[in-house]
Amino acid sequence: MSAGQHLTFRTGAAVELDCDYAVVGSGAGGASAAIELARAGLRVVVLEAGPWRDPQDYPWTMFGTMRDMFDSWGTLVATGDSIIPVVQASLVGGTPVINSAIVVRTPGDVLQAWHDQHGLGDTFDERAIGEAQDRIERELQIQETDWQIAGKAADYMLQGLRKLSIEAHPITRNVAHCKGAMQCLQGCRNRSKQTANLLWMRELVQERGGDVLSCAPVDRVLRVGGRAVGVSGRFRHPATRAAGATFSVRARRGVVLAASATGTGPLLQRSGVRLPALGRFFRGHPGAGVVGVYPHAIDMHTGPSQAAASMHHRLDQGIKLESLSLPLELFAARVGGAGAPLVDKLGDVRNCAMWVTAVRADAEGEIHQTWWGGRSLRYVPTRQDLARLRFGSKLLAQAHFEMGAEKVWPGVAGLPAELHKDQLHLFDDAPLDNRAWTWVLSHLFGGAVLGATPATAVVGPDLHVFGVRDLHVVDAAALPTTLGVNPQHTIMAVAAVTAKALANRA
Amino acid sequence: MWVALLHDAVCAAFPSTARLPGLDRLDSRPFLREMLQHAPWVMWFGAIGSAIAWQLTPLLTIGLPLPAVLLSAGARARHASAMAGHRLYLVRMAMVMIKTVGGLYWGAAPEVRAALGLPTYGQDPATVRDEAFAARIIRPPCTGAL
Ligand SMILES: Cc1cc2nc3c(=O)[nH]c(=O)nc-3n(C[C@H](O)[C@H](O)[C@H](O)COP(=O)(O)OP(=O)(O)OC[C@H]3O[C@@H](n4cnc5c(N)ncnc54)[C@H](O)[C@@H]3O)c2cc1C
Repeated sequence: MSAGQHLTFRTGAAVELDCDYAVVGSGAGGASAAIELARAGLRVVVLEAGPWRDPQDYPWTMFGTMRDMFDSWGTLVATGDSIIPVVQASLVGGTPVINSAIVVRTPGDVLQAWHDQHGLGDTFDERAIGEAQDRIERELQIQETDWQIAGKAADYMLQGLRKLSIEAHPITRNVAHCKGAMQCLQGCRNRSKQTANLLWMRELVQERGGDVLSCAPVDRVLRVGGRAVGVSGRFRHPATRAAGATFSVRARRGVVLAASATGTGPLLQRSGVRLPALGRFFRGHPGAGVVGVYPHAIDMHTGPSQAAASMHHRLDQGIKLESLSLPLELFAARVGGAGAPLVDKLGDVRNCAMWVTAVRADAEGEIHQTWWGGRSLRYVPTRQDLARLRFGSKLLAQAHFEMGAEKVWPGVAGLPAELHKDQLHLFDDAPLDNRAWTWVLSHLFGGAVLGATPATAVVGPDLHVFGVRDLHVVDAAALPTTLGVNPQHTIMAVAAVTAKALANRA
Repeated sequence: MWVALLHDAVCAAFPSTARLPGLDRLDSRPFLREMLQHAPWVMWFGAIGSAIAWQLTPLLTIGLPLPAVLLSAGARARHASAMAGHRLYLVRMAMVMIKTVGGLYWGAAPEVRAALGLPTYGQDPATVRDEAFAARIIRPPCTGAL
């Protein structure tokens, strides 16, 4: 097959292309679906809102990362009774380019619930998902973190939790030859992280005759007679955001949407899809961290961003615990106080370790397209979610003290800025108020969820959009519940199984 | 004017101490200028709104009816601390935003990283791939210390 092409920002004449499938978004879901379709011999065009950057282009600083890699510089926030930052990437390869590369298989209980309560089709049985995940694991070189490079922050968490008889384990990640340079969030300049811009999107263009359009945000899905026949939009300059040439892609067999939980719902709304559940059932794993301050160096700047985790309380409490090292630029905003006391605290950064509680939250929010072309996201963690966060935070603080921390910085308004071992009980009185905690949202689900009927869902058992033929959703937007584990592996597998079924269709 | 406003706020959040240089000693103005010039409007309003809140809230935080720029060094320090721990959520959030903007510069500054014994960063390349998968510079180099 002849090579395809990569077309990026341009002005002037309109770009018009034909293909079998147009795939919108090149993140976990989009890239996985696109390569599966292309390997089946179908002609695929991938449209990605962000630019194509390779490791040489990745920034060093967090400012560069927000500017060059985050979706809208990271300015999307969830509002309700508090302001919760929502982190996502916008570039070829999607959010996995900046994520921590944690790979966890889909829990059986989740898949079962999707079948029993949300009408997931038989195509997605445990065997099909398992086979897809086996292949993904081989291709992305999934491996357990080499403990030589894990760093003290992760090692201490593992040991601290185990001292409390809490299960904890080294994280399994899609990295090869990780050097522990603590640059996962900036994209891994060492090329260790195995992401779609380096693998699947290259294969698509160079070996499978597919096209990738970068800097190409899709504005709407084109429909004729109740059928999706393509997509259209306008190139957008990645630095100035200036509008460029228009593009339209005609898709003979259909359109596959994977613009993420914050992108797919609004895109369907812009495209005139009217379903009562559209934009609803937005869910997440919001999280917050506890910092332990030790009498000796921990050096969070060494090791991968995340290397240790615990799923001990996944089922009974709905929480996952993880080590999470932050670059100094972000850590500076996370530490409480301002002025000289803040700078003094930051002087101890090398003695700090940060561990987080990610909550499998009950909260349900809504994501909508706004009249000015933006997105509005309403999301309010419930009291129960806050209670789980409080439980996890106390446990992590306890583990810090087990490992010899002198104090912890809970980062909770209403608690003292630092707590010592004999003050651990104060966590029990931490306010169950979203404004008191520093939540961050990075695992997002819903907005175009799966379900049995168009009254309560946007996509049906095989992930087709109700009421529009040949339109499918294969990203986190379709997932009908949270997982309680890191989602990229599930998203990639669900997308791959959907794509395989589409390719096998007559 | 916007840069000066924001600069005043970030300097108060990250002042120099005996151990570490603060934003009063490192010139963050070119960085702030570039950020305000290119940031999406939400970030622009967030940063400038927070810098205005910094100027207008000394009455709320330390009971002084003066803009922050007119406060003595001691009063500025008390105002910054009080804002970070204020009972009103939006006042606290304004300081979080100021710390976020200031932290992006301060935490990447070679002087700070050297003083802390952290590795210094390289220059952000600001390139993207074009058709031939070759890098193309899409931004002018930042004139700040990054
Ligand atoms: C900091 C961070 C760390 C994380 N760590 C992990 C981890 O270690 N393990 C894990 O499993 N999960 C992790 N996650 C979550 C995981 O990365 C996401 O759940 C996953 O990438 C979501 O996949 P997606 O396909 O739904 O969306 P994305 O991967 O976000 O991809 C969506 C893509 O669509 C593009 N797009 C949006 N709108 C349009 C449009 N209109 N036209 C064209 N393109 C569009 C976007 O630019 C983006 O590139 C992390 C997330 C973050 C933010």
